[in-house]
Formats: sequence, C-alpha cells, structure tokens
Amino acid sequence: MKLLWPTFTCCVALGLAVQARADSSGGQPVPTRFAAAGKALYESICQGCHMPDARGATGAGSYPALAGDAALASADFAVITLLQGRRNMPSFGDAAGADLFAMPPRLSDEQIAAVINYVRTNFGNRFKGTVTPAQVAAMRKALSGR
Amino acid sequence: MMPRAKHGQPPLTRRGLLTMIGMSAGGTAMYQAMSSLGFARDSGFSPVKLGAAPRGASVLVLGAGIAGMVAAFELRDAGYRVQVLEYNARPGGRNWTLRGGDRYTELGGFMQECRFDPGLYINPGPWRLPHHHRGMLGYCRRLGVQLEPFIQTNYNAYVHASRAFGGRPQRYRTVRADFHGHVAELLAKVTHAGRLDEAVTAEDRERLLESLREWGALERDYTYRKGATSADRRGWVRDPGGGLSGEPVPSEPIALADIARSGLWAGLIPGDTYDMQPSIFQPVGGMGRVGEAFGRELGALIRYQARVVDIDQDERGVRVTYEDLALGGARQTAAADWCVCTIPLSVLGQIPMKVGGAMQAAIAACPYAAAVKVGLQFKRRFWEEDEEIYGGISYTDLPITVIGYPMYDYFSRGKGVLLGAYCWAGAAAEFTALPPEQRVARAVEQGSQIHPQYRQEFEHGVAVAWHRVPSNLGCFALWTEDSRQRHYRDLCEFDGRIVLAGEHASHLPAWQEGALLSGLDAIERLHRRALATGAAA
Repeated sequence: MKLLWPTFTCCVALGLAVQARADSSGGQPVPTRFAAAGKALYESICQGCHMPDARGATGAGSYPALAGDAALASADFAVITLLQGRRNMPSFGDAAGADLFAMPPRLSDEQIAAVINYVRTNFGNRFKGTVTPAQVAAMRKALSGR
Repeated sequence: MMPRAKHGQPPLTRRGLLTMIGMSAGGTAMYQAMSSLGFARDSGFSPVKLGAAPRGASVLVLGAGIAGMVAAFELRDAGYRVQVLEYNARPGGRNWTLRGGDRYTELGGFMQECRFDPGLYINPGPWRLPHHHRGMLGYCRRLGVQLEPFIQTNYNAYVHASRAFGGRPQRYRTVRADFHGHVAELLAKVTHAGRLDEAVTAEDRERLLESLREWGALERDYTYRKGATSADRRGWVRDPGGGLSGEPVPSEPIALADIARSGLWAGLIPGDTYDMQPSIFQPVGGMGRVGEAFGRELGALIRYQARVVDIDQDERGVRVTYEDLALGGARQTAAADWCVCTIPLSVLGQIPMKVGGAMQAAIAACPYAAAVKVGLQFKRRFWEEDEEIYGGISYTDLPITVIGYPMYDYFSRGKGVLLGAYCWAGAAAEFTALPPEQRVARAVEQGSQIHPQYRQEFEHGVAVAWHRVPSNLGCFALWTEDSRQRHYRDLCEFDGRIVLAGEHASHLPAWQEGALLSGLDAIERLHRRALATGAAA
C-alpha cells in the first residue's frame, strides 16, 4: 500500500503511505479511464459491490440493493452519497486528500450525474427527474463549504 | 562486494555522516538514520505475560483472523474460558492461501475452482513478513510455522512503463545503476563548482566526492559512462568469460532524462522502504500456514460458519447472537464476561451493537481500500528458464501494478504460478466489477506486455477482489489523518465489556503485525479490567 497522501501526515499514515507506494509502479496517479456514460460507469465501478443486477449481496455483511431502493427517490440523497460516501462506501467525489493509490477514483460532476441518472431509471427503477452536472457541482460546493 | 576505498581518504565518520544527513534532510531523516545505526530504538513487540485469569472469567472473541486468534491463544493460556466465533469455514481471515482444489465463492455467487498443481499457490491477502514484525515472526516460531525468504528486490526483475522504451521492460539493475550513476555525476559537478561550500566543510567535500564516485560507479573524472566501471553495476552486453572467447563487452547506460521521463526510478523505491527491506520472510507453503497453525492450536474453541447478527452487553456481561450457517442459519447465542471483537469495520458497522456513540462514530468513519490479486498458472517457469528471474517482483504502470514471481521451487521443471496482478484504487474498482474469469483474462493480456511467453504458456488462474470477499467487504480500513485524529482513540477504548481489535485498530494498517499488536494490546487492557472487576459476575 503505497500511497502519497497529501493529507496523511502522521507517522501512522506515512507508514501506510510507504507500504502502498511499494506496490504501485512509478507513483503515477491511476488515470480516470471511466467513460462518461452512466451505464459504462455503473458496469466499471458500482457493480463491483452492488452487483450487475443492482440487487446487492449478503455475506457477513451486505451491500444494499439499488434496484427498488426507495432512498433513490431523493436525487440529492444519491448525489450526497456519491460525493461524501456513506459508512463503508467510500466517497467518489473527494478531491483533496484522496490518495490515488488506495482511494477510489474521483468522478467528475458529469460522471456523477450520469451514473445517478442511469441507476434511477434502470433495474426496474422509474424515479422522476434528472440530475444535472450543475446540481452536482452546487452540492459539491455546498458540502465543501460546511 | 564490499565498497573499496581507493584513494586513501578516510571514510566519512559516523558523526560526519549524521551531520550531513541532518543538514540536508532535517531532523526526521536524522532520527531514522540514527535508528538504523543503532543509536535510537523503537519499542516493537514484546511477548505478553498476562498472569492468571480471575477464576471462571470468560471471553468471547469475534473473528478468527490474526488479531482474534492471537487474543484467544493468549487468553486461553492465561486461564480464561474462551470461545471464538468465525464467519468463514476456515481460520485465518485475510491470512489466506488459495491452492489447487480450493473452491471460493465471492459475493454475487461467482464461484471459482483453483486448479493449481500441487504445491503451487497464491496469497490473496498479505504475503510479506518483514524482519522487524517481531510479533508475527515470534508466533510463527512458537507455532512451528516454517519460514523461508521472501524476495522483495530482484535486480534481474523488471521495471516497466508502458509508454517508455517502446514498452520494453527494463531490468531493475540497469535503471538503478544508471539513476544512481547520473545523480552522482550531477552532484559531483555541483560540488566541484563550489555550490555546496556552505553545506560541507572543505574536508568533507573531498570525502563527499570520493563517496559519490564509489557510490555512483563514476570514472576517475567523475563521469558516469559506458565502461567496465558502470558495467560492474548495470551488467554487460557480454559477460566476462574464459580463454580467448571471454572478453567482456560493457553495456550502454540509459540517459538520465529517459529514466526521469519514464518514471521508472519509482520502481527503485519499494525495496528501500522500512517494511520492504530485507530480510523478509514467507511461510513455506503459503501465508495461510499461519492462520492454519493458530486454528489447529485453538481447535474446538473456534466455532466456524457463525454469522454474528447482534452484539449486546450489560454491566454483567456480553451476549452475542449469531446464525449457524452449518445449520441453515439457526439462531444461537453465546455469552461471556468480556468480548474482543475483531470483525472488520466494513461488516461491524452493519451489526447492531450496544456501544456508545463515540465507538459507533469511529466504526462508521473508515471506508475500506479496494484491492485485487490474480494468480496465474503457466506450463513452465519461463521467467526462470528464459529470463533468469528467480523470485522477486517486477513493477509496471499497467493496472496490474506487479508481477510477483514464486519464491519457492526454484529450477523446478514443473509448472509455476505467478502473482499476475495486485490492483489498487481505480484499477481495483474496475477489476472488482468484472467477473472473475475476465479479471484473469485482463491480467494475462497486460502481463503479456512484459512477458510475451504468457500467450503460449498460460493455463488458468484465480482472482480475488477484496470488496467481493463475503467475510470482509473490503481490503483494509482507510484512515485519514483527520479521521484518525477524531476517531482512533474511541475505536480502541473499551466500551463497557467490549473492545475492538484488528489491523483497523492499529498504527500498522493493512499489515498482519498491526492486527496482532492490536489483539495483544486489547487483551492486556482486558486482563487489567478483569482483575480489577473480579471473576465472572
């Protein structure tokens, strides 16, 4: 776990940083290779946990289903969740402090809007309203200002 | 080979060296250097001696990983009545080895059957035991786990940048020699030009120049160039041989700008870091041997296939409800005076637990890192036969990040298993989202850019994505400076009769040693409380 984390300054974090660096090559950021299309994003990131059918999965703990998830009726809920993370779901919107080696990719406003719109209108979901990149940007600003 | 002092200059004194390091790198580097020279000491691991348990006192341990099993092992020896609940059907947790015949079903129901030949394996989780991880090494000794060297740095392995040198991998040896050689030449130039006069005395200046020449394999005129001197570091086009045909041919160094632009210098760093310096060890037969040994030792104290669904406590004790997966999920309860809970936070955060807000907030504060490992079996050990790579690791900027060569069975004529990928972050997220067979296919495709033999020799593989591992839902807890500042203490403090342990409750996240030291720290505090409280209520 190597790891170049600008915000990790204590010795502990540095130890982790060093370890992380050891297995990365070149210390270069992992490029954001994610296509803007919501479907492609879902299939290249989200389904890792929420599963290809968006029904989630259960082992010792669970990943929630997004299919039929009533919480998605609130587009803001979805935007905030992607930007800030929720419990063991990491933030996908964090810029400062996100370590590119160990942290998840940082998605743009366009990408976050695209994937939310995809999830809210697929897998049997028929939620109304479309999230725009401008809404995501505004929420990003509001959250960072807190 | 020992460095030769050619010109009669006395070597830098130790104090002179420390002074130079302190000037150039500041106090931290100086302290580190002092540690390495034996002046400063770190605390490290010391064996626990709990003393006798209060009569009848009992402890319930949740999780049979390293933290939970070391806790159970020591508590049992002290006389506590111990029971361990484990979700998996095997001991070890992230200490785990996949071998031929193993079946593994990840979340989503994707089942893989590992078809490796007998004796071949991959470790989906940890694979290194550094020499200063005294706890892990100490318990290996006590449990009779046989160790062998883990090769971190192999000078004949590769560093690879997909867009440099036409995509051709470079030998670690040549990049190291050339990077050091060019840097030494530049520093010598600066020194000769008097630019360091404020930093070093005239006496030390001569010593510095001498050390640069030796360290960088410079010629007498302080240049780094093709010749016998540089070839002694970077290797030859034709190695020295015998008789009339044995005249050696030196090799041409890579230009400094090419190394800098390619980023290949970064591949030199891993083996220089504290956790990856030699000596490093691995258990013979796979890292899982450690967990298996602990499991044998604890025997019937561990109840497997127990899925914890509720953790309750009051002033008298702890009561845990679990589903017995071997009995179709029938609900059972287990009770004890105390509880050491080592369940990963990614899972624990979903289990109702009667603890205060501070610990709850701490549990919710850590997302988990993504990581993916892929093991690939090949018909022959072409990395040894064709390329003289015996163990060690090649580093690449491709998403697979590494190719790890088996550090056992050298020169075997049989098949071999490589660690074909160790993905992190965004690459790990992408690999996780793929079905296992596509992760394997992608690792083969990328690895073939470094070893073209992949295409001919590949047989089959297995892929483990840690966010899909049913017992874990992630690889390791991701602390930030801020979250650690706010929550770490609350995570580690007792809440009533419950204490948490695991790599997440350590200053060595992701390392087994962190889990082990966390487990020992927790039971030492538990024992003091138990003595103060008296026996079972």
